[in-house]
Amino acid sequence: MTPLDISVQNVGKQYRIGAARERSTFWALRNVSIDVARGTSLGIIGRNGAGKSTLFKLLAGITAPTTGRIVLNGRVAALIEVGSGFHPELTGRENVFLSGSLLGMKRREIASKLNRIVEFAGVERFIDTPVKWYSSGMYVRLGFAIAAHLEPHILLVDEVLAVGDAEFQARCLQRIQELKAQGTTNLFISHDLTAIERLCDSAVLLERGEMAATGAPADVVATYHRRLIAHANAPGEPVAKALKSGITVTNLATWDPGDSDSIACRSGGPLAVTLKYEATRMLPAVEFELRFYAADGTTRIATLQTGEVSVDVPGGTIEFAVAALPLNAGSYFLGAVVRDLASGKDLGWWDGETRLHVQEGQGRASEYQIPHTWRHVQADAGERTPAASVRSKPTG
Amino acid sequence: MIRPTVVYEPPALRHIHPIAALRGLRQFFDLFVTLSLHRVNVRYKQSRLGILWAVLQPLAMMIVFTLMFTLVRANPGGPVPFPLFAYAALVPWTMFASGLTSAASALTSHASLLTKVAFPREILPLTYIVAALVDFLLGALVLGALMVWFDVSPGWHAFWAAPSILILTTFLIGLALLLAAVQVRYRDVGLAMPVLLQVWLFASPVLYSLDAVRASLPPPLYFIYTLNPLAGIVETFRRALVLHQAPDYAALLTAAIVALLLLPIAYVYFKYVELTVADTV
Repeated sequence: MTPLDISVQNVGKQYRIGAARERSTFWALRNVSIDVARGTSLGIIGRNGAGKSTLFKLLAGITAPTTGRIVLNGRVAALIEVGSGFHPELTGRENVFLSGSLLGMKRREIASKLNRIVEFAGVERFIDTPVKWYSSGMYVRLGFAIAAHLEPHILLVDEVLAVGDAEFQARCLQRIQELKAQGTTNLFISHDLTAIERLCDSAVLLERGEMAATGAPADVVATYHRRLIAHANAPGEPVAKALKSGITVTNLATWDPGDSDSIACRSGGPLAVTLKYEATRMLPAVEFELRFYAADGTTRIATLQTGEVSVDVPGGTIEFAVAALPLNAGSYFLGAVVRDLASGKDLGWWDGETRLHVQEGQGRASEYQIPHTWRHVQADAGERTPAASVRSKPTG
Repeated sequence: MIRPTVVYEPPALRHIHPIAALRGLRQFFDLFVTLSLHRVNVRYKQSRLGILWAVLQPLAMMIVFTLMFTLVRANPGGPVPFPLFAYAALVPWTMFASGLTSAASALTSHASLLTKVAFPREILPLTYIVAALVDFLLGALVLGALMVWFDVSPGWHAFWAAPSILILTTFLIGLALLLAAVQVRYRDVGLAMPVLLQVWLFASPVLYSLDAVRASLPPPLYFIYTLNPLAGIVETFRRALVLHQAPDYAALLTAAIVALLLLPIAYVYFKYVELTVADTV
């Protein structure tokens, strides 16, 4: 039997909230039990506030559990927020030593790996510049490079894969695969469900601090999507009666019109988005805006707008239809706002968390997906019969 | 590479093993060195007067008190010039006062680090004590210069300075660990520090000699007075270097016992608070 490198036994974590007098407690985690065998990878997924980060802090030894027991076999490198051990006034080189020694590395060990770390991060030219002048990308790259070269037995990574450019992400994934091949045990926390599916041997879904599903990554991700959709379609909270602005977005849901059972859309395939709103008074000229965000939840990658819309009590639905979704496989977030056209003021917006999970389509992944058709014209020596020699085929 | 086994359990004092914790510190010795160097660098690199700051504080206090005692025509220093008498005690005192102030807030001033990276937290206060020791060495150099100026040469008693500083460092580590841990929950510690140190300065034989205290206090009160480890430490240091006298053995022994009792208790308490410091800091 393969030895267990991570063993979480009935772990719970209780936090105190509030000031001294009206102090109350809540359980951020309850009855969590997870085993990770040596050389395997586990992914933890769940909505914000489900307890993922709390679990991570317990595993990293940043804080102790309230109940239960955690046993780790091996040297641990935990990356909670890339570059969290950095000091802005110090240069990149000094920070490599500081950050590396915070992870328990010896100065000599760091010195011997310095070149590889710097090269991996691609910051050779700036290594003697204080990191406060670094771009956020450089910061992140250097931070990950240090942890990835520690050669830990157990690598814990929290939401790091969502940052950095595509090329660096690919390099990170490659490095993780290398470590895995060397027998490193990995635990990832990520919003990027595609990465979880690709990297992990098993996954755990956390919901309100408890384990909601566990098993093969594809199954757990599917469960997660089903729950998100169920959540999104549940009757919304009753809207406050005296809405000051007069309108609010009550739901935002996505589906694949070609396959209503599907939990995800295909890259290059169709996508439908339904936006429900409630209005408490007549508004003659508003516009709705649909926003697509990258997996980090903050980088806006696309915006769709309606034209002028007149809305009235009690509300209605806006349906957006995309014929060929120009997004690569991965996880995205959707947002929506409704704006007064006369004043340009935002009147309402979607507070919920709507994710869009895009699976790989027929085309190869590249930076842009360009909807197109194509045809083949064969120049022939004989009779010119265009109808027979020209074939046209639409593609996605 | 060896595979260490780590177990995380709910906080309980009986799970704290100070010896095991000390052994775990070895792996982080390089972090201790890196952070200590950083601490010293930051202190002196980013200010105009640089290392002068290390000696300005005791020097300023010496000048103020010298002027004061000149005005009231008193000389508590006895046979040695008062500036030398006072400065010889102010050097270890300043190490204690500045080391304690910075080390006691070492956890609360690193909240963002504590919630994101796991490492033995005692390293943070310890690095401030290293910085205080560097200050002390610079202050001692100025003391040497003053001794040349006043034509006072150290005798063979001078070696007693070493054990007195050793006891001072031990006491400082113990008290700093304790106060740093308490300050996580009670920020009052940081606010009380200036008052505490002001009272403590006058309750220690810095501006007067221990002999003067013994002469004016009844024996039981005098013993209570020497329970303050600074009494034995400061007096020994000054006697050794500028007064050519053997230490007050009873006071020095009391100081050593207090320091050695405090350290393990403070360390266990610190390691206990450390388990949940990320939640409260």
